[in-house]
Amino acid sequence: MGGAKKKGLWFRYLLAVVLLLIMIFPYIYMVLNSFADWDQVDKKLFPTEYTLQSYQWLLGGGEAVIPRPWLNAFFNSFIVSGASTFLMMVTAIMVAYALAKMPFKGRDTINNFILFQMFFPAIILLIPTFLVIQRIGMYDSYWGMILPKAMSLWAVFMYTNFFKAIPDTFIEAAKLDGASELQIMYKIVMPMSKSITTVIFLFLFMERWTELLWDMLVAKSDNMLTLNVLLSQMFGPYGGYPGPMYAASVLLTLPIIIIFLLFAKKFQEGMQFTLK
Amino acid sequence: MSTKQGRMGWLFASPYLIYALVFFLIPLVWSLFLSFTDWNLISPTFSFVGIENYTEALKSPGVQSAFWVTFKFMAVFVPLVVASSIVVALIVQGLPRFKGLFLIGFFLPYLASGVVSSLIVKGLLSYNSPVNEFLRNAWGLDIDWLGSPFAALFVVAVIIAWKFTGYYALILTSGFESIGTEIYEAAMIDGVSPWQRFWKITFPLLYPALFTVLILSIGVTFGIFTEVYQLTGGGPNFATNTWQMEIFTRAFSNLQAGYASAIAIIASVVTFISIFIIRKLLEMWGKRNGWS
Repeated sequence: MGGAKKKGLWFRYLLAVVLLLIMIFPYIYMVLNSFADWDQVDKKLFPTEYTLQSYQWLLGGGEAVIPRPWLNAFFNSFIVSGASTFLMMVTAIMVAYALAKMPFKGRDTINNFILFQMFFPAIILLIPTFLVIQRIGMYDSYWGMILPKAMSLWAVFMYTNFFKAIPDTFIEAAKLDGASELQIMYKIVMPMSKSITTVIFLFLFMERWTELLWDMLVAKSDNMLTLNVLLSQMFGPYGGYPGPMYAASVLLTLPIIIIFLLFAKKFQEGMQFTLK
Repeated sequence: MSTKQGRMGWLFASPYLIYALVFFLIPLVWSLFLSFTDWNLISPTFSFVGIENYTEALKSPGVQSAFWVTFKFMAVFVPLVVASSIVVALIVQGLPRFKGLFLIGFFLPYLASGVVSSLIVKGLLSYNSPVNEFLRNAWGLDIDWLGSPFAALFVVAVIIAWKFTGYYALILTSGFESIGTEIYEAAMIDGVSPWQRFWKITFPLLYPALFTVLILSIGVTFGIFTEVYQLTGGGPNFATNTWQMEIFTRAFSNLQAGYASAIAIIASVVTFISIFIIRKLLEMWGKRNGWS
């Protein structure tokens, strides 16, 4: 009985490993092809000749109007995603704290309106949001990419539910000690919200980092493109350079994987919480 | 409730108020307004055309295809991603060690940009790719993956299912955790077969988590854009033309801003009603079987 059970367990692990390898095979394929000799790109599942040529092409500039377009785009991606995610976190925490812990007139109305907006199909807003950005002179600028994505209703919703679960006695005790609202948030509420903050941060950053449609509409000049948009524009016309396109894909995917793995443990804890 | 506290509340909520005004209410009204004009996105002048944009849109192949393509994606993508995430969750669930590590591994595809996954798939499926060489040599199959209507739809659905499987498996494993081992042990003693065990015990207890996954994955099908834009541009012959693709093409390639606004409003109404109906049906289905 024990032997059979152990054998079954081995089989399960084997199955899990094989399945995992299949699931991450596209990533393996991407990395191998980014190092593959240019004659072998997309010709073999596992290339046999390797070179750094693709990365040299990518970092050296390739063929483009501005110097080092790929590094520039990589930098843009960080500015846009970083600023956007930071603002989404700050605004979500502020608004959620007000909705959960600060009784004021009109709070329920705001709460209901947020729920209404959350379930409203966002597609309707694409064209007019573009026009708003154009009219306030933010077309083809960082702010144009950042501001319409400076707030996430999903994040507000998650934080509001979490903050509501924090007992009021903690906050009242701090108030009696003379702490201000900002101090309470910074010293009491945020330290209690670490794991959910990790989950929200990761989801927001991942989503912002891989955004295509909006950034594509707003960024027009060559020096404003994010890495995702540049890659999207290049892999059609640059069909002749498949190797460097894989290298660019690695450049785009690696940071997000590193950030995710750094927070993976906290992320799992937080997920267990958010799903319950 | 002191006035000072009331003022602080409004102050803290003010980012949302500004955001809702500038990026929700104004665009919403603007969109409605534009949908009754023939504006071309650039010209300083335009004229009102009444409901002509709407009648035109409802007759056009682009809009009609977008309506059906969404449901076709749903029919392929939802069963695919639900089945694969259940398989992953079932396999990972029983592991006494490294469960968390496996879940993190399976989550990695979620981090891929749609542009990157499209690029990889385009490479894997190009005419001289190892996959197609193999199919040609082994079975004499010559498939034009992105050039034939069903294959193109299928490829896009698989890419998106690949992306979401690990995420949904994570949701499902938390559902499994609510199922105690005692139930299984009791079933074991009663001599229940594994197949019965899945349908009579696991499935009903898993239903709340499964409901979440179903709703999320159905929502995904209404927002498909990147993969389609990258791989097919909505083709061949509108076979993968989603709402977002249709609106993007009309507004920003053909510069029919007024007409595209009307399509966006139709798309929103269709999306809202469809999700509402599907949700209600799912709830009824769960209730009738006594799962929720």
